[in-house]
This record gives sequence, structure tokens and C-alpha cells, in this order.
Amino acid sequence: MRAGTLRSTAYHDVPYTRGGAVDRTEVGALVQSAVDGDAAAWKALVEGMSPLVWSVVRAHRLSDADGHEVYQTVWFRFAQNLGRIREPDKAGSWLASTTRHECLKVLKALTRLTLTDDPRVLDRASDDRTPEESLIDSEEAADRAERVRCLWQELEGLGERCRQLLRVLVASPPPSYGEISAALGIAVGSIGPLRQRCLRRLRARMDARGAA
Amino acid sequence: MSDDEDRFPRHGADEHRQAGDRHRRAGDEFRGAGAGDEEELADAVLEEGLRQAAAVLDPVPDFLRQLALDAYALHDLDAQLAELTFDSLVDALPVRGVTDAPRMLTFRAGEVTVDVEVTDHGLIGQLLPPQSARIEVLGGPQTARQVTVDTLGRFSSDTAPAGPFALRLRTGAEVIVTEWLRA
Repeated sequence: MRAGTLRSTAYHDVPYTRGGAVDRTEVGALVQSAVDGDAAAWKALVEGMSPLVWSVVRAHRLSDADGHEVYQTVWFRFAQNLGRIREPDKAGSWLASTTRHECLKVLKALTRLTLTDDPRVLDRASDDRTPEESLIDSEEAADRAERVRCLWQELEGLGERCRQLLRVLVASPPPSYGEISAALGIAVGSIGPLRQRCLRRLRARMDARGAA
Repeated sequence: MSDDEDRFPRHGADEHRQAGDRHRRAGDEFRGAGAGDEEELADAVLEEGLRQAAAVLDPVPDFLRQLALDAYALHDLDAQLAELTFDSLVDALPVRGVTDAPRMLTFRAGEVTVDVEVTDHGLIGQLLPPQSARIEVLGGPQTARQVTVDTLGRFSSDTAPAGPFALRLRTGAEVIVTEWLRA
């Protein structure tokens, strides 16, 4: 099993109506239009799928430099393979599994090198505020911003399996279970129960925080 | 790391067994329809809160989004795609004590094979069957660098690829591009 080959994957998209279902039905048509030379369709694909690819990169805790390269590799390869993808409507799963494989390759290379100075588990808690962050820093939104930050902190403390699942689950637009399965190499059928457990665990942590 | 530090299982058998366990545990949590609905609603609300947090605190960096947009230029239906068939990083057993072994890659497109060795100092390679060709190293949608090739299809470059790269080969009438890879 190698990354990026164009086999039709074993990931079956279960009939499922999450918020993103509407956006995702367009994917096959967008891929076809992009193959035919429609740059706007490509743009729509990038806008719609970038957050999914990014979430998979972030779920694997690569350093920023490695993560950026994986993200680029995945999109370069997707462009290269555009007209060759067998199931264009599952392009999301293709992107997710290609990203996963590239992330695993990076991690494998790192364990081989065993460099002590490699910042593999560097998570940025950057001081630079994005415009969005500045916006929610305005006073009236301060409470909400605080809650958002707490939520993110508690997610970090949740344990690897839940953190990975939730990070990919909450990409925008919401990925399908087939895409999540491709992103993390877990069975579609196990995602629902795992999601429930992880969300409840997170809620318990938020409650405990509120009570403290 | 608290309660769930084990990573996702990588192997099929484990995966199925553990998936079964999850189902059973999920079943144990069931506590009557009314309470379940309320809990599900709370789950959905929390998930949406996390989605907003992700969008605000960990968005796709703008320059990466732009690179993905620019990548459309790499879409080339006329070129033949050479698939990666060997990658020492994945397919070779590590040699004890050797930590800086060069990365060996093999790509194949039909009858044509390209062997490439990537080191910190550059790359060298060989086209099989031996034949002359024009070869470029691509570094992204806008970067292409010509490398020297002899009449037997042996090529080399003093510049190591930084980041993702692909090779574009022109042999007679054919254009072949290797799968994009991270060096």
C-alpha cells in the first residue's frame, strides 16, 4: 500500500447527512470541471478541501516545516492526478488518505533519524494574532473567545486518539465518515461511537474546568 | 496525555477487534431515548464549538492555500505519470547504525524506469532503458531546473531538492512526470 496510487479505496461512504453532505455532493462534478480546464472549479476544490487536508496534517503533530511540505506534496499530487482519479466524488477520501500516508512517512523518517533536536512535537501557541483572533478579542466577544481557547486547550489534553479524531472531525466543511476513515485509518463503523465517547469526555473536562 | 494515549491501530486485525469493543462500549452508554437525544444535541453543539475554534485558532495558513491554488498549473493531461514503485524510506529495511543512507527511489511509466538517489548534496539517477532525454527537477508550480544528462540517460544535480519535487523527462515525443514526493 503506497500513498497516492489511484486504487479505489476500501473506504465506503456510509449514507450520512452531516452538515457537509451538501458541499460534498458537488465534489465529483468539480473534479470533472477542473479536469476540463475550469480554474474556478479548482479554486472551489481547494477552498472546500484545504481544511480537511490541513486537519489531517495537524492531527499527526508534524513540525510546521514538515507539515507545510506534506500539505504541498498532497496538493501537487492531486493536481497531477486530477484526470486519473477513478472515483472523483471520493476525491476527499483520496486527499485524506494521501495526506495520512505522507504524514506517516515523515514520522517514519524521523524515528529512523532519531534526531534529538528535531522539533517533531512542536505545537505552536503562536503569539501572532490572526485577524479572526483579533476580532474575537474585542471586549464584547471576550467571553466567547475565552471559551474557544479553553476548548482548544482541553482538546490538547484529551489523549492522542480522541485528539486526532476530533481535530479531523471538526474541519470545515465537516468531512464525511469515509473521509475521516481515510484520514486516520480507522473503520467507518467505529467513528460514530468514538466520536460520542470523545465529545463526552471533552464535555466532562470542560465541566470540571467550570466547576474548579 | 491522559486516558487514551494509545495511537490508532495500524493493522487490520487489531482495528476490527477494537472497533468491536467500541461498539459494545457505545452500547453500554445508552440510557433511554430521552436522555440520549439530549446528549446527542449537546454533542452536536460541542462539535460545532470545536469547529469554530479550529477555524479561528488553527486555520490553513494563507500561503499554503495560495500554493494549493497555484498547483492547478501542474495539471497536465498530456504527460505520462511515472508512479513511485520503490521508496527506501518505506520499502527497505533500515541498516543498523546507518542513519544517513541516501534515499533511493524508483519510478515507472510503462517501459521506462527512473532510478533516483537523493542525498543532502543533490541527486543522481539513471533512466532505463538507457536513452538520452531532457530532464528537469520541478520544485513547485513555478520552479523547474534543468539537470545534466548523458547519452545513456545518467543524470545528476548538485542541488538537493528542498521540499516537494518531481522530475519531468522528455524522451523523443514522450513527456513523463514522476509522482510528487517530499525529499
